Amino acid sequence: MKKVFMALMAVAVLVGAVYGAPKAKVRIALIIESTVDDKGWGQAMHDAIMAVQKKYGAALVEYNYSEKMKPVDAGSAARQYASRGFDIVIAHGAQFKNLVLELCEEFPKTTFSFGTNAEIGPKNVFTYMPMSEETGYVNGIIAGMVTKTNVIGIVGPVDAGDSARFNRGFILGVKAVNPKADIKVAFTGSFADYVKAAELAHTQVKANADVLTGAAQQATGALRAVAEYKDKPIWWVGQDTLQITMPEGFKVIAAASYDYSAVIEVMIDKRQAGVLGGESIPLSFTNKGFVFKYNDKVGAVLTAAIRKAADKALADITTGKLKIDWAPVKY
Amino acid sequence: MVNFLTNILILGVPFSVALLLAGLGEMFNQRAGVFNLGCEGIMAMGAFLAFMPPYFLAGSMPAGMANLVGILVAMAAGALMGLVFALVTVTFRAPQGIAGIGLHMLGWGTAGTLFRHFVGGVTGVPGIQTLPIPFLSGIPFLGPVLFNHNPLVYLAFLLVPAAWYLLFKTPWGLKVRSVGTYPRAADTMGINVNRVRYQALALGGAMAGLAGAYLSLAQAKMFADDLVAGRGFIAVALVYFGRWHPVGILGGALLFSLAQSLQLSIQVAGIDFPYEFAVMLPYVLVIVVLALSGKSKMASPTDLGKPYNREQRV
Repeated sequence: MKKVFMALMAVAVLVGAVYGAPKAKVRIALIIESTVDDKGWGQAMHDAIMAVQKKYGAALVEYNYSEKMKPVDAGSAARQYASRGFDIVIAHGAQFKNLVLELCEEFPKTTFSFGTNAEIGPKNVFTYMPMSEETGYVNGIIAGMVTKTNVIGIVGPVDAGDSARFNRGFILGVKAVNPKADIKVAFTGSFADYVKAAELAHTQVKANADVLTGAAQQATGALRAVAEYKDKPIWWVGQDTLQITMPEGFKVIAAASYDYSAVIEVMIDKRQAGVLGGESIPLSFTNKGFVFKYNDKVGAVLTAAIRKAADKALADITTGKLKIDWAPVKY
Repeated sequence: MVNFLTNILILGVPFSVALLLAGLGEMFNQRAGVFNLGCEGIMAMGAFLAFMPPYFLAGSMPAGMANLVGILVAMAAGALMGLVFALVTVTFRAPQGIAGIGLHMLGWGTAGTLFRHFVGGVTGVPGIQTLPIPFLSGIPFLGPVLFNHNPLVYLAFLLVPAAWYLLFKTPWGLKVRSVGTYPRAADTMGINVNRVRYQALALGGAMAGLAGAYLSLAQAKMFADDLVAGRGFIAVALVYFGRWHPVGILGGALLFSLAQSLQLSIQVAGIDFPYEFAVMLPYVLVIVVLALSGKSKMASPTDLGKPYNREQRV
């Protein structure tokens, strides 16, 4: 345990040393299709920018955002931000790829960013890609050890992007500790249909699943459905730590979150060094792009053995000892 | 296999309720000659307003009472929005399609904005709990499928014969059908066409509000911006599907929700079938049945979508 702690500390010191305060004022704009308080995708990026702003002060980091932007509306918002002199315009979603690629030529001095996407974009476009197989794997370890029925359910939005990586990492995590577990993967076909996510969660429970997980903002609907089985041992492992603090948190054993602060800080640093884009920034445990929390109030279900196994996986991933080969996983 | 099919039915029945309630309400609208595409917006407002009393009054009044207040507020707001729609389309004779889209945007936007102002982020409420019916819920197979749900499920299914009775066996129902079929003749007979249309739209709005309340209090037990997620539009389509008859609408709502339950169960069962096609299944099925049932003897209200002007020469 001491070695693990030392390794984590070493990585933390290395990562922490990378970023410095901006040398001049940076103006950041965020465009999202959902809202900044969606307890999911949009809020994770908003909170990260707010954290960076808090760290360096509003005098150095100016921040504006536009919510509920469909791709057709987002173009005019992004254009306004760019023409008003914003330095970094983040269109948070892969659906904004085309508009970013179009605008980046018109505003060559503005840094644009969109994700999730691992492609290397034009020289003034950063992409970012959460390596969600890592959070999926740790959650999978917990799910595999918690299940009594040996049936585990995934409430997915669509099988693409970081959700696809999360699911596959989750399956690898479960199989690492419980090879006999039956993992039922199903999708709602939507990121924001909370009702359908709840319907799918109920379907999973009827099929005997006793541990569920899911990504995207719709996961709140699935967690709400799990909370309806108040007195039954049906549990949730989450992809957003805010779920632990929700009224339904009594069902959440542990959860991971994206911390986009690392992405924001890299973009600020690179831009001030004259690099406006042309890179893809990963989000991982190693660069502190993920946060992982246990729910200490969940009770006896979270045993010391589970914590130990999850901690070990977390440490091995963080130090690079454990590489998760998620791509070949089929379901 | 029996368990697989039973679970599809157990889950499919409650899935159908929001569509059934909104569909029955929309049926009254359309039977009176007005189609209300704003159903989705009314459902959004209903979902939001029903959510508010249990959220804010938790602890200060019994949960059941707070839920009831929420439902009544949602229905009242739905009726009010129906009346606003009537003012625009019946009195001012605005195009019903455009006005409906406007009402949808108004309801959706207002609900989302007020929710963020008064509540903030996505959160839940205890909601309406399951109420198994004594003895009946213990019947093998039928018990869990039909008699082990929350009270709004039973209410919704009881509203089907009630709506049939109201529409086909009461003087008011006859007036509704006549103003939607031949308003000039109805006017000649002394029926106030506009008044009946106002009443039908208020009733339809109240039922859409109730459908929204069902989503936020009984099905999802939470509120979020996009909670309704197109179900209001599906309800409008189900009225055509059901040939403007309560039993037909019940059939459509059940077909859609059972198909939904089936596709989710197929995915969970791990049957090798692309999920992209699975999620399309309910929608494709409704379109196919709608296309095949085009020559049904139950024709649409002949004056559907046409504003009535007694001064206009025919």
